[in-house]
Amino acid sequence: MGLQINVRELITQLYVHRSTVEYLFGNRDSVTVNELMAQGEISDEQYKKLLQQEILYEYHTIVGLNDSVIAMFEDFMEIGEVTPGVIRDYISELRRYISYYKEAREMRFLRSIKKYLKRINIAITREIIKLQKNVDDTYKNESNYRIKIQKLEDYREKRDTIIDFINKSEEIIQEAKNIFSISADTELLGITNELKAGLIENLDYLIEIQTDITDYINKIQFQLDVYKKAQAIKEIKDRGELNYRTNFKQVVEAIDPIGFNAIRSPRTKISIEFLHTDEGHVICQRVAEKYKISRLMARRMADKLPGDFKHQRTEAFIKMDTATLVEKFLHQKKNLFEFLQEYKFPKALGELSFEERITLFVEVAMEYERVLDFRFTLNYHDYEIKGVKKRLGYTLILPNRTTKTKIKKN
Amino acid sequence: MEFNLPRQTHEIFATMARGNFISSNGTRDGMNRLYDIINNPENFDHLQDYFAQIRYRIERGNNFFYFSKIDEAPSLLEKKLETFEKYIDIIDLFASMDNKITIGSRFRPSEIAEECIANVRLKQKLQKIPLYRSETLSNKVREICDLMSRDSFLEKEDEESENYKVLDSYAYLLDIINAIAIYEDGSENGNAGLGIIYN
Repeated sequence: MGLQINVRELITQLYVHRSTVEYLFGNRDSVTVNELMAQGEISDEQYKKLLQQEILYEYHTIVGLNDSVIAMFEDFMEIGEVTPGVIRDYISELRRYISYYKEAREMRFLRSIKKYLKRINIAITREIIKLQKNVDDTYKNESNYRIKIQKLEDYREKRDTIIDFINKSEEIIQEAKNIFSISADTELLGITNELKAGLIENLDYLIEIQTDITDYINKIQFQLDVYKKAQAIKEIKDRGELNYRTNFKQVVEAIDPIGFNAIRSPRTKISIEFLHTDEGHVICQRVAEKYKISRLMARRMADKLPGDFKHQRTEAFIKMDTATLVEKFLHQKKNLFEFLQEYKFPKALGELSFEERITLFVEVAMEYERVLDFRFTLNYHDYEIKGVKKRLGYTLILPNRTTKTKIKKN
Repeated sequence: MEFNLPRQTHEIFATMARGNFISSNGTRDGMNRLYDIINNPENFDHLQDYFAQIRYRIERGNNFFYFSKIDEAPSLLEKKLETFEKYIDIIDLFASMDNKITIGSRFRPSEIAEECIANVRLKQKLQKIPLYRSETLSNKVREICDLMSRDSFLEKEDEESENYKVLDSYAYLLDIINAIAIYEDGSENGNAGLGIIYN
């Protein structure tokens, strides 16, 4: 006999040994005592206590969780074997309470009736989900074909049982209809309606499952037949009669998957433009490493750009520009103002306005003071803005003949 | 032209254009996901239209898909005959195992090898399969598995334990076997005359 254990104690034990419980649940029926101990999660003493509380069972050196614990987990996660027995119990309980209620219209019976109606609805749905899942799993994963067919036949039986329960439940509801309506309990009415709808829906699912099972069994049967045929063909082949006693050639000729018809996948060459990009470079490098081609390895990837690279670039651009500009200025005879007004700047800069040119004039005058010849006389420039005549005075600056060759900033 | 294609179109093309099958129970490189995408009727029509432009047609089998070429009729190649003769050998071997290997089966090459060592008939079958580089029986089984995986009928589920799974595309081979007609001639009295031992 196990020790008396209450809910709190049970939950505590499960929680404290949660890794052990999880391990045992994950490896049902296959863990030996030694393996469990080797996990190091549980001490000898704790193990004995769990055995005493009947949370664990040990038989022939195999350790397992108590079936009730497993059933609880499986029920909750809607996995595990289909157990229509539960529904049977619910149905007989429901019958019992309805007969009580017929005798004495008491609330406590009605409450139980509601409870079981609800439970039946949930249980049937759950069992069907499990059934569907098991059928699928068996077909896809059961490796032994004999067991596979047996299992599928079993599921077919279980399906019939569930259908039987659905019919019984409907019967009971039908029989108890009058009593239920006398009770004038709206909640009860809601629950019955829900159950009815649920039953109809579930019946549909079961029909589908039936088709699946039949389909699967047929497929397996087909496979078995094909295997027999394969053996027969092999026998013919071994006797060298394959091309004479069968239509092997015609069948093979008609085989159309591209893999068997020497149709290769289209091969595209990498575009040269792509190879010039950084992603392309990575590929180049991989190829280079593989075939040890140093030529391809030469080009490295650029360093990471600093965050303010845009700013830096424009600045550098203008500076370089002024330097060449001054250089050009030094090699001609016009004064600086006129030179800048008339100078054809590269297209990349766009059209420079009058104001921009004056700004440039001031900039050059200040920055390249040394190489310039300041004449300290004012010249005048006449221009028009929106029909108003204006005149601008500017210092006459000529190229400095003596320092023509060296440009140096102040 | 607007095709409204799924995002995975490239992966689908890359897999199938290599001559591979896409099976619903394959898990490598998200094969089952690709299968679900092709299997969606809306996607299927879009993809079919799209690939038709480059003369590929998606062929649908039982839980698998593959490509065929629209304008190129399948032909009778020596290589093709050889391949399928080899497949007959392999399927015959699979069919003769105690635990018949078929769609959805999981196995390790060593299991097959062990059974073959224990059973003379199987051993002979295995030894006669024309493969070139293998000496030991287990290497030979391994080579068979490699070959079948390359043609996407098997999938190596786990590198370390060498666990293989038979994919849905295997049904294609079974269909081929089923399509082969055996001409009965009067002198033989059915299968019994062929000396077949059924498991």
